[in-house]
Amino acid sequence: MKANSPTLPPIPVRTGPARASKRSGPVPAWGLKLGGLLTTFGVFLGSFGYANANLYVTNAPLQPATVAAVTTTDATAATSATTATAVSSTASTTTTTLTSAVRTTTQPAVTVTKKS
Amino acid sequence: MDLFFWEIARASGLAAYAALCISVLSGLAPRTQALSFLANNRAVRALHDWTPWIVIPAALVHIVALLLDATARIGILDVFVPFLTSYGQLAIGLGTISVDLLIIVLVTTWLRRRFSNNAWQWWHRVSYLGFGTMFLHAMLSGTDLTSPVISVLSWASAIGIAYYALERLGKALNPSRVRA
Repeated sequence: MKANSPTLPPIPVRTGPARASKRSGPVPAWGLKLGGLLTTFGVFLGSFGYANANLYVTNAPLQPATVAAVTTTDATAATSATTATAVSSTASTTTTTLTSAVRTTTQPAVTVTKKS
Repeated sequence: MDLFFWEIARASGLAAYAALCISVLSGLAPRTQALSFLANNRAVRALHDWTPWIVIPAALVHIVALLLDATARIGILDVFVPFLTSYGQLAIGLGTISVDLLIIVLVTTWLRRRFSNNAWQWWHRVSYLGFGTMFLHAMLSGTDLTSPVISVLSWASAIGIAYYALERLGKALNPSRVRA
């Protein structure tokens, strides 16, 4: 028995200009993830290189209080050849005793000098 | 060794900022078409869901490096409770707040099924505040932000995100214009 279904009208052929649809970019999800990972890693490596080349940023906005204390004690040590006592500039009354004989530093040792 | 940790902390701080920019931008993109030139919304959404895998490691490395750097004098408590440090309370405290907000956003996202959609969306909007505090933390304490190149890139990405966030807000407040 044949189904009693109405015949649908034919789909009209579109003759006018096609509607301009917004096309999104072709990058797949894994491409975006890879890009995000590489960007973050690239920023890390680039920043590490920059930080390595610019260890001491004198105009950095944040300076730990120890820097001020070290500067104060350096000045004191320079003026006095004997044992010096410097009081830290922080709120706590920490007393640091310095000797003129040995002084630890984070600066690299000077191994090369230039002739003038 | 302190200098090594100091360099790692500076580099990972900027990397965490970049990762958070990617995360926030990919979260804004499906509604604002900010990345439509690059990929469709499904791919952008997949990127947004994946970004914790770059934000968390970068932030963790930044925090651990500062904990190990004796000169920075950052304690475990300073990581979670703001304004306790002996110097730069505001600058470092803003970073602490951004970590706390990041934790809130991540935990509520992982527990998303336990919230109603509306409640989760409100929790997720905390990420805008988290990005803002992280940006201010970077500006007030970032040693490398004194470099013109790094400063321009940081400001440009923040301005771009602010622009798309405002566009997103505008669409949320006036949805009839979006349909028209």
